[in-house]
Amino acid sequence: MANSLFEEKLSSKEFLVTTEIGPPKGADTSETVHHIDLLKDKVDAINITDHQSSVMRFPSLGGCLLVKEHGGEPIFQMTCRDRNRLALQADLLLAYSRGITNVLCLTGDCVDVGDHKEAKPVFDLDSVQLLKMIRTMESGKDMSGNDLKGAPKFCVGASIHPEADFIEPQLIKFEKKVAAGAQFFQTQGIFDLASLRRFMQYASQFNVKILAGIIVLASARMAKFMNENVPGIIISKAIIDELATVEKGKGLQKGIEIASRFIKTIKEESLCHGVHIMAVGNEKVVPEILEAAQVVALGH
Amino acid sequence: MIVAQQKPLEETRRMIAPYPRVLILGCGTCMTVCDTGGEREVSYLHNALRVAQAKGGNGTHTFSEYTLKRQCDAEFLELLADKIKDIDVVLSLGCGIGVQAIAERFPDIPVLPGVNTSFMGMAKERGVWDERCAACGDCRLEETAGICPITRCTKGILNGPCAGTKNGKCEANKDMDCAWVLIYKRLERLQQLEKMRRYYPPRNFRAIPRPKRIVSKANLNTGGSNG
Amino acid sequence: MYSRVNYDTQEYRPNQTEKYSLDHSLMPPCQAACPLLMEIREYIDLIAQGRNMEALQVIRSGNPFPSICAYVCTHPCEDSCRRGQVDKPVAIRALKRFAVEFGGDRMVQAEAETTHQEKVAIIGSGPAGLACAYYLRKLGYPVTIFEAHSELGGMLRVGIPQYRLPRQVLDTEVQRLTHMGVEIRTNTRVVSLDLLFDLGYKAIFITTGAHQSLRMGIEGEESPGVIDGATFLREINLGLKPSLGDKVAVVGGGNVAIDAARTALRLGACEVHILYRRSRAEMPADPVEVEQALEEGVRIQFLVTPTRIKRQDGQLNMTCIRMELGEPDDSGRRRPVPIQDSNFNNVFDTLIAAIGQAPQTPSDFHIRIGKGSTIQVDPATLTTNRAGVFAGGDAVTGPATVTEALAAGRLAASRIDDYLQHRYPLPPKEGRKSLAGDLLPRTIEMIRKISRLEPQILSPEARAKDFGLVESVYDWQAAVNESRRCLRCGMGAEILFQDKCATCLTCLRVCPYHVPHLDTSGAIQIPVDQCQACGVCVAECPAKAIVLRKPYDRRQVTEELNHTLKSAAESKLKPLIIGFCCQYGLFGTGALASLWRKTGAGVWVVPVLCVAKVESDHMLRAFEMGAEGVFVAGCGEQCARENTADWVRQRVGKVRKTLREIGLEPERMQAFVSETANADVAQQMDKFSDRIGNLYLASIIMQEVKR
Repeated sequence: MANSLFEEKLSSKEFLVTTEIGPPKGADTSETVHHIDLLKDKVDAINITDHQSSVMRFPSLGGCLLVKEHGGEPIFQMTCRDRNRLALQADLLLAYSRGITNVLCLTGDCVDVGDHKEAKPVFDLDSVQLLKMIRTMESGKDMSGNDLKGAPKFCVGASIHPEADFIEPQLIKFEKKVAAGAQFFQTQGIFDLASLRRFMQYASQFNVKILAGIIVLASARMAKFMNENVPGIIISKAIIDELATVEKGKGLQKGIEIASRFIKTIKEESLCHGVHIMAVGNEKVVPEILEAAQVVALGH
Repeated sequence: MIVAQQKPLEETRRMIAPYPRVLILGCGTCMTVCDTGGEREVSYLHNALRVAQAKGGNGTHTFSEYTLKRQCDAEFLELLADKIKDIDVVLSLGCGIGVQAIAERFPDIPVLPGVNTSFMGMAKERGVWDERCAACGDCRLEETAGICPITRCTKGILNGPCAGTKNGKCEANKDMDCAWVLIYKRLERLQQLEKMRRYYPPRNFRAIPRPKRIVSKANLNTGGSNG
Repeated sequence: MYSRVNYDTQEYRPNQTEKYSLDHSLMPPCQAACPLLMEIREYIDLIAQGRNMEALQVIRSGNPFPSICAYVCTHPCEDSCRRGQVDKPVAIRALKRFAVEFGGDRMVQAEAETTHQEKVAIIGSGPAGLACAYYLRKLGYPVTIFEAHSELGGMLRVGIPQYRLPRQVLDTEVQRLTHMGVEIRTNTRVVSLDLLFDLGYKAIFITTGAHQSLRMGIEGEESPGVIDGATFLREINLGLKPSLGDKVAVVGGGNVAIDAARTALRLGACEVHILYRRSRAEMPADPVEVEQALEEGVRIQFLVTPTRIKRQDGQLNMTCIRMELGEPDDSGRRRPVPIQDSNFNNVFDTLIAAIGQAPQTPSDFHIRIGKGSTIQVDPATLTTNRAGVFAGGDAVTGPATVTEALAAGRLAASRIDDYLQHRYPLPPKEGRKSLAGDLLPRTIEMIRKISRLEPQILSPEARAKDFGLVESVYDWQAAVNESRRCLRCGMGAEILFQDKCATCLTCLRVCPYHVPHLDTSGAIQIPVDQCQACGVCVAECPAKAIVLRKPYDRRQVTEELNHTLKSAAESKLKPLIIGFCCQYGLFGTGALASLWRKTGAGVWVVPVLCVAKVESDHMLRAFEMGAEGVFVAGCGEQCARENTADWVRQRVGKVRKTLREIGLEPERMQAFVSETANADVAQQMDKFSDRIGNLYLASIIMQEVKR
């Protein structure tokens, strides 16, 4: 099969924009569909999260199917928390058969932070091993070396945390992910462009595309909460203070302003290859952000 | 050391409820060391159950106490043979192994677990126990500078830290160190960082299939041991 | 609720360590150093609990005349006291005096009846003679003491001045003998042993002491104005008042010389000089006596000895020569050597020669005399070369201490008994092994430093006026505080049940003094010479494998608790509160005494020797046996051992958690371990008692409502 649309865009020189939609906690997907329709033409691809923060939700694969059905370009977020290698391989076969070929390989948050704290965490694989597994499947074999009847092909990515407080081990893992076959990276939330710059100085040697993660905050309180409780998020004091300056109810506006400010700067200075907007429940404001940042998706 | 914790009193009382004559059985090895099921704790639990019974008003149990050096060896269990005759249930304060050993040796008497066997670990200081080993059967401590990622990393991943580590602590529990940060630092100190740069394939979760068995007798025919 | 005490429930606890009655303790250095082998550790502990009468009983069991030793013993025990390795030795002699004065000594009368026919004669009524008389009389023999002087006591009477040993103390002790039925013949000098045998005595104990002063051997020694020390002191003690003039010289460096000098001062001498031929370090006199003498104004000239005395114009002109120290002599002290041409002269009114005494035995006794005029005896049996004739005390050893004489008297009594009953005089059985070894620096570091409390001494001005006692006795607070400094050598923890020990290292980790350690084979050793017997490891060992080598007074917390519960059951008092109360310090006698008097009905005290020994088990058992409330009360931060308050709080916390799990109010379990043992504790206990009372009433009401 030919490259996916997203894969094509990856090889272009365009400034890439992706965003993510969290699927519903339940069987009613009407709001998800609404968001898909709202965003599909404004971004290059839409991630569907996989039980983000270990909260049980409608599955990522199902969400990607919806994106596909409604004409969008999905990125299938796949974590290792819930499924062993058999289930992972099986889901990938299914995804491929339905034309979902962009996969973001993640280890996954631990069950302790979610709403099913007593569940059995699987972690049969980690993100690096998942990347390797996908490449193995592409070569026509499963993980145990058996031949596959119909080999899939994917565009794979992984995540990276440029603002980690102890960066060296993260960089080692980054290199392992690149070596395992990752083509693109969506970072954890960026709040400090200086550290993004430092990271890019190092990462630009690798032939991979980096999309800076932009989180849309709605209030200082939300920022503090995420700082404490959400893995991988480190929000600087300056941002929290900026959010605290506005009066109640205007927090989201401020968050939009901050987000678009970041995106604008990143684009103007070509800091990295694109952005990945995480609206965390406020998917509806993504178009506004893009407008404020004067960013228009390729081809639209 | 096998480390366990006594079950909440309420649960123990509920378990012993149907049995009039209860033998509280302690263990003189691991359970003594972790101060959970040795002779002293047997005595204390005995007292607590009696006070609880008195408070409840309708006391129906009579208790007896005994402590074996170990509950997991048949020879020690033989010492129980006489005492079993006059009781209705054994409330064992031994680890899960001990409880099962008693159940196997004395199939006609019910055995109750008085403790929750939790992990294999060591004492950080008196009264503080940390898990250290998951008995995976495929020890890879050579690659991680003596720090086990399977036990000490919440997710048990093998190729470096996830993005959830903050201040060197794990996203699941802010009091727990991120094992991979520890591993990185120690490999750096030993100048063996290339071990962390290697790709580690997925674990063999069935290194020794469960329930595991190790045969250490030498076999005359095959000449081998350590099966 | 369960307010009725259920004591009749049978318990099946087969693993209880019934072997607690064994005594594996080692003999502490204080006891080993004492000639009488007194159980010092034991009576000091009793004083610390405020139990003076029992302390006195322990003292009396080893020493028939404790009041005498309390004043004048040279305390070899203090010299070997291991507290001295931490700061200063425990003031054992002063504590013994406290026990003697406050323990109802005057009320103690000894009784004896005659069960044997054989009469025994004791020649001399010094400490050896008195002790021998006491023990023989207790064994049932008719005993007669022959004393040449008009009063009993030997050197105690005629040698030691009254400002050190008051007259009535000696009289009281002697009276006891009379009460026991010992026949006393004063003013009777024995000149022939054969006569005594003819009179029907079957055995004779010669204990005539050493009263013959040694001569200086210099010209002019016979002059008027020169007297020997022993005679001088005897005359004073028998009531005479010789005139001494203004300037008095005393030659010598022993206790007799010091006694003579200080006596001379009290008799009105303006200047008293001691002339001693060696230096201060070699003076055999008690350093405390020397110090007191100097304070009173006695002057000491060291490295000086008289060579000639000439009587001139009613005074004594003494020629002296200076000395320097040469090589050591037989006694180990450096020999004084005269310095050439260093003569100088001094004028005195009186010269007292106190360079030593020797025994003097009549040749008609026909017994073998040895070096220094001492009577030769077999040291194991105290027999002389004549059958049935024994000897002991200064007459055998030369001038020695009171306590050694008492020990000789005691030994003589048992040997005379052997002789009279035709028993083979076996050597004494091997006693308990002695504790050897010094405290390690890491242990010393953890022991709280408390300075030694010296008994009050009168000011030098006040005391030089008369012969009143110089040293006063401790008050209660001082005695209890001083006795708590004892380290309890030799009765520390040991792993009695090695098979139970899981080497869990708990004892190693909880010990405040870092005593338990791993030996090279990986087993735990608790060295007996380091352990401070605090009891924490005993209570914390998860396998209950550790015991103290000597259970205090053979009592354990468990037994005490059982006893209390039984008593409470019999009395049927409600509501029932049980308190584990420390007996040490003034906690037992001070704060608690007031508590016992004024608390409401139903508070039962379980006396414990330090609350560190009270385990969570004990506390819970108190509830199990029907207590509505339980408390633990101890000295808190004042405890003589470290960290004990922490342990109590931890254990109380554990019991509270269990109470909560059972559904009882955790406040029913309280710990009173404050910084100071003061009246506030009694108040807190009162409040606690009230609260428990209310809880009990509430539960009764609930039961009524339910019905």
